[in-house]
Amino acid sequence: MTATLETTPVQTPAPAPARRRRFPVGRFLAYVVLVAFAVVYLYPFLIQIVTSFKTNSDATNSPLSLLPDPVTTAAFGRLFDTDFALWGFNSVWVSVLVTLGRVFLCSLAGYALARLRFRGRSALFTAVLAVMAVPSVVLLIPKFLVLNQLGIYDTPVALFLPLVADAAGVFIMKQFFESVPASIEEAARIDGAGTFRIFWSVVLPMARPALITLTILSFQASWNELPHFIVASQDRDLYTLTKGVATLTTGQLGSGNQFPLTLGAALLMTLPVAIVFFVFQRYFVAGANEGAVKG
Amino acid sequence: MTAAPAPAGGLRTRPLRGAGAAGASRAGQGRAGWAFATPQAVLIGLFVLIPILMAFWVSLTDWRGRGSPFSGTVGFVGFDNYAAILTEPGLARQDFMTSLRNNAWYVLLVVPLQTAIALGLALVLNSRIRAKGFFRTAFYFPTVTSSVAISLVFIFLFTGGGAVNALLGVFGIDGPNWFSDSRGLLHLAGDGLGLWDSANPPAALTDGGPLGLTWWDWLSGPSIALAALILLVVWTSAGGYMLMFLAALQDVPADVREAAVMDGANRWQRFRAVTLPALRPALFLVTTLGLIGTWQVFDQVYLISQGNPAKTTLTPAYLSYTSAFETGQWGRAAAMSFVLFAIIVVLTTLQRFLMRDKDAAAEKKAARAVARRRTSTTFFHADR
Amino acid sequence: MRSPIRRSAQAAVAVAALSLAAACGGGFDDTAEQQESGSASLTMLIASSGDAETQAVQAQVDAYEQESGNTVEVQVAADLSQELAQGFAGGNPPDVFYLDASRLADQADAGNLFPYVDQVDDVDDFYPNLVDAFTYQDTQYCLPKDFSTLALEINDAAWSAAGLTEADYPTTWDQLASVAQRLTTGEQTGLVIGDTRDRVGALMVQAGGWFLNGDGTEATVDTPENLEALQYLQTNLAAGSFAYPSAVDAGWGGEAFGTGKAAMTIEGNWLVGAMEADYPDVGYTVVPLPEGPDGPGTLSFTNCLAVAADSDAQDAAVDLATYLTGADAMTALTQDTGVLPSRQSLADAYLEQFPERQAYVDGAEYAQGPVNAPGAEQVLLDFDSQLGGLATGDPEAVLQSTQTNLEPLVGG
Repeated sequence: MTATLETTPVQTPAPAPARRRRFPVGRFLAYVVLVAFAVVYLYPFLIQIVTSFKTNSDATNSPLSLLPDPVTTAAFGRLFDTDFALWGFNSVWVSVLVTLGRVFLCSLAGYALARLRFRGRSALFTAVLAVMAVPSVVLLIPKFLVLNQLGIYDTPVALFLPLVADAAGVFIMKQFFESVPASIEEAARIDGAGTFRIFWSVVLPMARPALITLTILSFQASWNELPHFIVASQDRDLYTLTKGVATLTTGQLGSGNQFPLTLGAALLMTLPVAIVFFVFQRYFVAGANEGAVKG
Repeated sequence: MTAAPAPAGGLRTRPLRGAGAAGASRAGQGRAGWAFATPQAVLIGLFVLIPILMAFWVSLTDWRGRGSPFSGTVGFVGFDNYAAILTEPGLARQDFMTSLRNNAWYVLLVVPLQTAIALGLALVLNSRIRAKGFFRTAFYFPTVTSSVAISLVFIFLFTGGGAVNALLGVFGIDGPNWFSDSRGLLHLAGDGLGLWDSANPPAALTDGGPLGLTWWDWLSGPSIALAALILLVVWTSAGGYMLMFLAALQDVPADVREAAVMDGANRWQRFRAVTLPALRPALFLVTTLGLIGTWQVFDQVYLISQGNPAKTTLTPAYLSYTSAFETGQWGRAAAMSFVLFAIIVVLTTLQRFLMRDKDAAAEKKAARAVARRRTSTTFFHADR
Repeated sequence: MRSPIRRSAQAAVAVAALSLAAACGGGFDDTAEQQESGSASLTMLIASSGDAETQAVQAQVDAYEQESGNTVEVQVAADLSQELAQGFAGGNPPDVFYLDASRLADQADAGNLFPYVDQVDDVDDFYPNLVDAFTYQDTQYCLPKDFSTLALEINDAAWSAAGLTEADYPTTWDQLASVAQRLTTGEQTGLVIGDTRDRVGALMVQAGGWFLNGDGTEATVDTPENLEALQYLQTNLAAGSFAYPSAVDAGWGGEAFGTGKAAMTIEGNWLVGAMEADYPDVGYTVVPLPEGPDGPGTLSFTNCLAVAADSDAQDAAVDLATYLTGADAMTALTQDTGVLPSRQSLADAYLEQFPERQAYVDGAEYAQGPVNAPGAEQVLLDFDSQLGGLATGDPEAVLQSTQTNLEPLVGG
């Protein structure tokens, strides 16, 4: 959205404002603010890392200290006595399946909505938009009911299949495909390629940035998901990291002040997302803006 | 939906080939279209659409969680569940209204705070600062981590003898036992200002109030425990919204900014004329997303407080969950989630109305009027 | 041009139809065909306090499998009530499961339970008021597998440091209040008591009150007796000699007691195991709760082994339940888990082995079980949340609101 300014004839520019020669107070203040916020934002993570190497009593008695006394990995040892490795494994395969499913199916559906003419297309799009508006809280209980009816409650399928449904992803891919020049597809069609071929070999490779964005968003969403895993299963062998670590604080193991244990668990479960984040940073940033401020 | 523009040169001048044409023909496209769209359509229908319909049905029954909700033994009770939580005096309504009160205060604080902080940080980062990437990463990172991890960290930070209170102790402030303190902030503020005494609230406020809670209850403000949750959520989500503002700010074309400088506009005028309008869509989006998100707060309550202390962190989403899974009141729980849905829809519609671009709306109205006039006149002209 | 509304509707119907077609696979089997016993396969859902208990249960279950030829899968629940709810909703509940007495009314009312006590011969060996706790509307549903009561635990070191001796162990409310006051120093609170009806209720019983009347037909919350109990608590909370666990940064009374923040606490026999595990260096003594205006009173907490009505192996399930509540299994299961055997015949042998738990066992005679009315849970949770603010609140209002809320659920 561009602002329109009255165009006045360009006058001779005013002399450089005197404040430039003085100490840049504004910029100094800006740095102060930024550094202050950075401390507030980074300190909890620092504390998390440091505390997971403390003993229980040290953590309780000197919470602010950034130096464990003594340094110990006992918390991690206790953590792996639980089913932490199993939870991690479950999280991995669920996230992989959900991400693959979402990326593939959303790009298919997005392409269909953007480029293929078929009856009911716009109605389907309206339905997608409407679904995006439904707050997830409404779905918490009924998803459980549906899983029951389908007979897949408390099975591995229930963990990942409902998460593959993603209206927002369809929307993102559709937006992207619409921005791809149609001439390329037309050229391919003229050369005799079928629809799927055009999609797979011509258009999809061009969609790389959007696909990567969608991959990252899907991975992050499925790795960090909690409410769905609460209602989708109860078998302990099907716990993912989020649900398993949640029991460290809400369930049987959540007694007493075992902060190094809980913080160590939180640390480990954040690592994969953190790695993905740092490696693919610009796509995260792009993803956060998808569909946001388009002119 | 933009239609594919006709290619230069015109397809019609070339002879259509056989097999390729079949794949690219209208019918082929139609089949392919449905084939492509069906998987996600089915999944979305199955796990979003159908659940909503099922939930609505359950909200009209007295199903206690045993067997199928569609079986013949399940009683249809019409809108009794809705009445129980909205109009009939009783514990169900009291709990639901308490949860609404808590969530309302939560929204009232979280949305402005996170929007303001996000906007502030974005503005600062958009100026001539070095190490932008570092700061941006630092602020955005919490958004990417899971609510479980963050909740665990904050439980640690906010215990009675924890880091936050140790920090406050440095300034001589005796921090409260955050997640166990149920005193309302407004009540405490009133105490401090001498408006009232929380131990003996004024009778005018405690005698009767709307919807089952007294005025004193409604006006309690968030409890200290809820305030800790507010801080948690603002800390977590401000970074994500900051990115949206940043993108909007960076979208302002450089020449417009330069033109403003050349025209001699000072910083404040530049801000009003150039920056603010550029931010408007982002502001709108951030507010909408904020509203939608805050009314559904569940994870943190589930992990940290389970509605305690004294039900001051009870939220409708969590109450709906416990009503279903712990007390077996599935019908009532489903009714709660639909009331919540309605609240969200109403508020976001209201927000859209309040934040609409009045100029653009007026333009649209005018354009539509013109179009109407044009079509009505063409109707009469036969030369079309 | 077709109206967009119609097209939306068409698309919605199409999507719904596709989905229903996909969903039709599910369906429900309402009739549970019974498995043949002798080769039945059972699932049992338990809640465990830790590995020790889980292993003890597993050992007994293994012995049962040997003897009966049935197979049993033991599942440990992270959240028993939630997982039960999910199991019942899915039509696939565990065959046998732990059921807390406070949940009996809800489950019985929903028709989830199969009453099997009438098939048991030696019901009389169980403490009568425990069996009563699992009786709803004159049907006895399940056998109590163990029980716990509340008693007063005293930190020996703090006790002697305050110059007190065995003779000073409090036996009345006044004595308790004064002793708590003496024991309250800057860093230690005299008595830490949990802020729920599961602790405060003991005071109410001692004053002669309770939530319901004797046969559970009337709500008796708003009575002078209960008021006296709450006022006693309020006075001491305000004076600082009593405190709730959260006020001293503890999760429960046992944690406050073990970390030295409380000189005394009111907890049940589960405290024994927790102290051994987490705070082995704290020396303490267990005495019966002091008597109130109406005499002695304590609360009992008990679980039974319930059999699901929808179980497809009911005979085998009942068999398992009676085996696990048999004298041999019960002796083994009450060894290391800190719970008390619910069979009267086992009391003597138990006390020989654990003489320090005398106070708990004695409490069985005057212990009050949980409130047994369907849907009472929410009302009681509300009561609990009001207790939190009792120090500066109005006990009368608390009792009145609870009375109002409880009345519609009781009677008839």
